[in-house]
Amino acid sequence: MTFGNILIILAEGAGYTVLVTLASISAGLAVGLSLAVFSTLRWKAVRLFLAAYTYVFRGIPVLVLLFILFFGLPGIGIRISPFVSMVATLGLVSGAYLAEVFRGAMAAVDGDEILAAEATGLNRWEIFFYIIMPQMFRMSIPGMINEFTSVLKYTPFAYTVGIPEIMKEAMSLAALTLRGLEIYLAVGILYFLIYKLFVMFFMTLEKRFRIPGLASK
Amino acid sequence: MALIEVKDLAKAFDGKAVLKGINLELSEGQAKVVMGTSGCGKSTLLRCLNLLLQPTSGRIIFKGEDITRPGVDIRKVRADIGFVFQHFALYRHLTVEENVTLGLRKLKKMKAKEAVQKASHELERLGMIEHRGKYPAQLSGGQKQRAAIVRALAMDPAVLFLDEPTSALDPEMSREVVTVINKLFLENVTMLCVTHDPFLAKYISDSIIFMDEGMVVAEDIAERLFYDHADARIKHFFMSVIDHR
Amino acid sequence: MDAFIQDLIAYWPQILAGLKNTVLLMVIMSVTGLIGGVGVFYLTLSNHKAARRWTNGFISFFIGTPLIVHLFLMYYGLPELGIRLSAFTVAVIGFTLNVSAYNARYLATAYNGLDKTELEAARAQGFTERETFRLIIVPQVMRMSVPSLTNQAIQNLKDTSVAFLIQYHDFFAQMQEIASANFQFFKAYVTAGLVYLALISIIVLAARRLEKRIALPGLAT
Repeated sequence: MTFGNILIILAEGAGYTVLVTLASISAGLAVGLSLAVFSTLRWKAVRLFLAAYTYVFRGIPVLVLLFILFFGLPGIGIRISPFVSMVATLGLVSGAYLAEVFRGAMAAVDGDEILAAEATGLNRWEIFFYIIMPQMFRMSIPGMINEFTSVLKYTPFAYTVGIPEIMKEAMSLAALTLRGLEIYLAVGILYFLIYKLFVMFFMTLEKRFRIPGLASK
Repeated sequence: MALIEVKDLAKAFDGKAVLKGINLELSEGQAKVVMGTSGCGKSTLLRCLNLLLQPTSGRIIFKGEDITRPGVDIRKVRADIGFVFQHFALYRHLTVEENVTLGLRKLKKMKAKEAVQKASHELERLGMIEHRGKYPAQLSGGQKQRAAIVRALAMDPAVLFLDEPTSALDPEMSREVVTVINKLFLENVTMLCVTHDPFLAKYISDSIIFMDEGMVVAEDIAERLFYDHADARIKHFFMSVIDHR
Repeated sequence: MDAFIQDLIAYWPQILAGLKNTVLLMVIMSVTGLIGGVGVFYLTLSNHKAARRWTNGFISFFIGTPLIVHLFLMYYGLPELGIRLSAFTVAVIGFTLNVSAYNARYLATAYNGLDKTELEAARAQGFTERETFRLIIVPQVMRMSVPSLTNQAIQNLKDTSVAFLIQYHDFFAQMQEIASANFQFFKAYVTAGLVYLALISIIVLAARRLEKRIALPGLAT
């Protein structure tokens, strides 16, 4: 079996890797955006909840959270599939980081522009959708790229819950052929390629939506 | 024998000639100013003299030694030349006193106590002693430049180079710094100063070297250069920077 | 609930041992990762194009690939070359390389924000490049990078849990054992989570105090 063969076999798991990554990113975006929107409400309870959420989900190791959801919850009667456990874990964690990125970006929107919009008669929701969000997104791009690649780098944990992505394929192959060196080298190269492709994709997306004068932090 | 002799100094960047054969001399106790049109190469000249830039050709004789020859101890030469920058270049993370003592301790190998004593003396001399514990961010532009001058002088260099020392300052602070440099001039500190400020030039120099497009056009005292000079370039330059009554 | 707490008390010595392993790994990799980070950062400033290229490649690779891959590569791959290292050694080396790359990236980012004329002034005074690096660059970039570096320390603590996947007997591995023994998976893992949070809180507090102490006027972190 040549190195090339190894790569091809592992690449079969790449599909799952990408799937888990994309699903987790979507979940993270949903969570992060919701939290960021909530943070604009002035209620103290909301503020406390956000602080607690951010603290817990940025402080807990991903592996521990994954194990709580997949191995722990059945103990109290809740059974989740491996895929959902993985996506939920990464979604909750990346959501916490993304919320911070979005909050920072929202704060960077010029207050005067919001005043101008209010003066024109736009209501809170319209201001959020037409003024704040477009700017916020563009300014969050570096932070988002950072977080998305972070999610990608957590996907190998999926093997612990049985999802057949790259890592799991690699371990089966290694057990079979005992060629750990080449196999894990191939794994590294494969992940690096996926990482580069991800970054390139988001950079082109960024270029397409770039606006002169609206620099990301 | 002059302290610095420059013979046919030339410097080109990527084929483009910026200095085209400069000859000048500076003796101990003399102060000269280099002025000229934008892009005439005056800043480049200064940086070649302490080897921050490598000359393309020509010779620089410093204290009788040819410092353009290979194998010269650049560190020793630079420690003997004080350099003051247009934008002060004070070390942001150190206090004024620490900025001054750093070179004393690490380059002149002075002990901490000695260095502080020397620094205090120099800071006192230029009226900066009360700012010794402040960080650059807490100083005004004029104070920053004065601190930078102290930092350069404390090393007891043979000559002080100043690169556009007042160009980044507003008129009031500029005057503050001109006063200080004038004091040094009156104390016969050997200086070579690049500037486009004729007010500064007049008060701190024995003579002014006028450059245009990489070459020395004339060297003379201020009065004879500033007003109605025979050379059209010089006349034109000073007409636009000095307000004639 | 009583049964679980009884188990915790019974297993207390092992839990403590596990905690010790976790904290030990975290402290070591934070220190070596910081030193390594400064070293790698120094190489990014090299005058040799090749050295710069290789260094940036190193940083790119370690930032662009999962940590677990580095560990598995060394733990399962090296034996093929006849090198058999303990889980602890693999963890230390793997984490150090990883953390060095990230730290070097943070320091390089801070370096971009430096006033480069200060470096010119240092050259003009007669300082060598090494001296300039030590006296002017490092004090400034380290201060500017404190938030990133302390965040990395927090990340380091969380990452130690990954070491259990290469059979390093850390705190998480120990909680695993307890869970398998009494089938209280939920309680065990939630407890583990809470312990990690507590440990991280300590780092966060220390980080805040550090930021206060090193702040200088004009040198924003």
